[in-house]
Amino acid sequence: MKIDISRRAMLQGMLAGSAAMMVMPGMKAFAQERGGTLTVGLTYEIDTMNVYSTGYLGDAQATVVEGLLAPDKDAKYVPVLATEVPTLENGGIVLSEDGKTMDITYKLRPGVKWHDGKPFTSADVKYTWEAVKDPKFIAESKDGTEDIDSIDTPDDLTVVCHYNTVTPAFASTLFTFGIMPKHLLEGTDLNTSDYNRTPVGTGPFKVSEFVQGQYVVVERFDDYWRKAENGDQLPYLDKIVFKMIPDTNTLMTQLKSGEVTMAVQVPYNQAKQIEAVSSLELITGPLLSWQHLDFNFRNDILSDLAVRKAVAMAIDRNVIIKAQGGYPKAIKSPVVPVFDYYDPNTPEIPFDVDAANKALDDAGYARGGDGIRTKDGKRLSFSFVVQSGRADDELVQQIIIAQLKAIGIEAQADNKDGVAYREARYKGNYDMIYGRWITSADPVYSVFYGTNGPNNGQGYSNPTLDQAFAKFENSLDPKVRKQAASDFQKIIAEDVPTIPLITNVALIAKTKALKNFVPNPTNMTNFVNTSAWYMQS
Amino acid sequence: MSLGYIIRRILGAIPLLLGISVILFAIIHFAPGGPLDVYADNPSVSQEALQQIKEAYGLDKPVPVQYAMWLKAMVAGNWGYSIRTGRPVLQMILERIGPTLELGGLALGLSLLVAIPLGIVSASRRGSRLDEGLTLASFTGISTPVFWLALLLQLLFSVELGWLPSAGYQSIGGGGFTDRLSHIVMPAAVLSLATIASWSRFIRSGMIDVLNQDYIRTAYAKGRSEWAVVFYHALRNAMIPAVTVIAVDFATVISGAVITETVFAWPGIGRLFMESMNGRDYPMLMGLMMMGSVGIILANIIADIAYAALDPRIRYG
Repeated sequence: MKIDISRRAMLQGMLAGSAAMMVMPGMKAFAQERGGTLTVGLTYEIDTMNVYSTGYLGDAQATVVEGLLAPDKDAKYVPVLATEVPTLENGGIVLSEDGKTMDITYKLRPGVKWHDGKPFTSADVKYTWEAVKDPKFIAESKDGTEDIDSIDTPDDLTVVCHYNTVTPAFASTLFTFGIMPKHLLEGTDLNTSDYNRTPVGTGPFKVSEFVQGQYVVVERFDDYWRKAENGDQLPYLDKIVFKMIPDTNTLMTQLKSGEVTMAVQVPYNQAKQIEAVSSLELITGPLLSWQHLDFNFRNDILSDLAVRKAVAMAIDRNVIIKAQGGYPKAIKSPVVPVFDYYDPNTPEIPFDVDAANKALDDAGYARGGDGIRTKDGKRLSFSFVVQSGRADDELVQQIIIAQLKAIGIEAQADNKDGVAYREARYKGNYDMIYGRWITSADPVYSVFYGTNGPNNGQGYSNPTLDQAFAKFENSLDPKVRKQAASDFQKIIAEDVPTIPLITNVALIAKTKALKNFVPNPTNMTNFVNTSAWYMQS
Repeated sequence: MSLGYIIRRILGAIPLLLGISVILFAIIHFAPGGPLDVYADNPSVSQEALQQIKEAYGLDKPVPVQYAMWLKAMVAGNWGYSIRTGRPVLQMILERIGPTLELGGLALGLSLLVAIPLGIVSASRRGSRLDEGLTLASFTGISTPVFWLALLLQLLFSVELGWLPSAGYQSIGGGGFTDRLSHIVMPAAVLSLATIASWSRFIRSGMIDVLNQDYIRTAYAKGRSEWAVVFYHALRNAMIPAVTVIAVDFATVISGAVITETVFAWPGIGRLFMESMNGRDYPMLMGLMMMGSVGIILANIIADIAYAALDPRIRYG
């Protein structure tokens, strides 16, 4: 999903919003009320309700289909259809003797029913793996299917997955997306099945209407398994309507007129309008994406650490943030601060133009007549790629070009469209590149900066970093992983293959009547647990 | 005019359509970007998964082969499968054409009803305050951006007054006649504004030409009333230049008003086109553009037929 928006508004507003959000889950000032309809405006058109094949984030889907696990508001996994998150300690994960493969056992929640009343069992889990793995099924999200060799279902509530590798990231794929009902789908063609419009799930709501290009209505599932702490049968809401409104101006109008009572992607430049409406409130949530400037190590000058460090010192993140309405947050590590693995002690290269100039002088890069530095006849002039048409990125590019000029480095915009940008990024057809990555709740970073990382187009190779990545990605011990994460964040900060710049925030507008809403930063969306939401009349 | 003529014109359109399809296919494939761009920022969609999706839709094959595959599906099948949804293109278009026909039909009907009298009044009172006022109004109408007017109407009628729903085709769960009417009023008004403005100008200038002809003076000399002269002698002839514009506008409006449908979240062809464009959904785009091409060619044939009906001197053999 593309949200290309220009940004304007106040950092203070954002901080206040996130503070409010932290307090909210603990507050129990109001009695929960049953009933009510929430009307959500989506700016994209829902293509399919199948979580494995949709090209968008599954907002509506998340109210209907559940997985074994789900990420919570801090991007930590919590059990949903499983009774606990498998770990080494609880015996859910068992390593093979050689330590190269693992078995994961899920204990399933008893008494869970599909929307058609049939019981949810281990056979459904196994079927989901088989169905998604099937090469005939066209899906974007097949991640993780190849890591499993076979699945045993010793009884209705036990699933044993035999992995052919050790991957701590198992939770961010496959069974977390959602489980499909075997009894309805076995033997059907998933590419053309009705399931894609009216999926039967185990979630708090069931699809009652899907009108292409207009709306999707989900209604309360009375036999839902979850109960509130006070014993209330969940969910509270009667209905959630997802209206498809492609134009953000129209969406804002609908929020003002009350035709829509929630929007999860408010563009930065329209946030102010929402703050002015008394029935609405604006909530800020973190996002698992980060923007970064990467260097190409095939360029002799850029493979000089002194130059990379000077670039890092020359960039003032505050200007970049201000240019985008003050909403993004500055970062110093590719591990965004939402994650436990983020190490706040990661070394920081402070903004300091004088120091940057001095470092370049010391390293022998002398300014020429045009103000651009040269060394051994080579000018410090680089091609600088961003994805063309992304207004925000092009704006940041202009800022960085200006800031680099101040230290005698020339960066020339060489912007590329969609596929060409992607290809340039993979093949390294750039000197410097700016862009963003969006990760799952349990990301691996070797794919970006590891020597053989599929997304490493920089020609960057650092064996020490590779070792830290390997430790992080192949260990199941949280302590070992935490240490490895600190290590690789420190190495990246010191070796500067990339300059992590900013992370975006999600702006959510909702009616003040909606309570218990908690933003979720992950690709499982804000709708991952809607059952506790209620309307206060 | 003979039936043979019409059949010949329709047969003659086939090579034209083939040519158009080759050009369109080439243009959308040469345009930067592709249907798999949506995955660009998502590191968990592997190159293998992308390759698999490419193969499934034939995107890995050379463009001429893809064209042949598309042509076969277009002529003999369901117009291919949408890359975005995996559903047949023809089926998706059929789902969307109803709302577009309703909106376009209402807007154009409204335009005809308003534009013809305006053009006539303007021409027969040429140079008067009324004519000048109408001229100013039409130019304002032609130059008002659709999205801006839409936004103003939405703010007035939905937010301030609360009389009309700001967008959508119907209320959730499907509404009755009045519910749908309340939804269609604003988009139809916005859509017809520009056509009323431009059509009334064409009719006005056509009328002015005709009203200066000798036979009009003759008709007046015979003592016929102004009303009879204008409607009986002048209007038919004055319509001839306007018919071409009206016919082509019909074709374009019916093949989807992209901006109006997007701003009003109207579930029609125009929005489908917009979404397919954003996602570079090649089969969907080709289906929609071919439909638009057929519409324009048909509109031209109908315009030619209408000339003959309006002017007995025009005969096709």
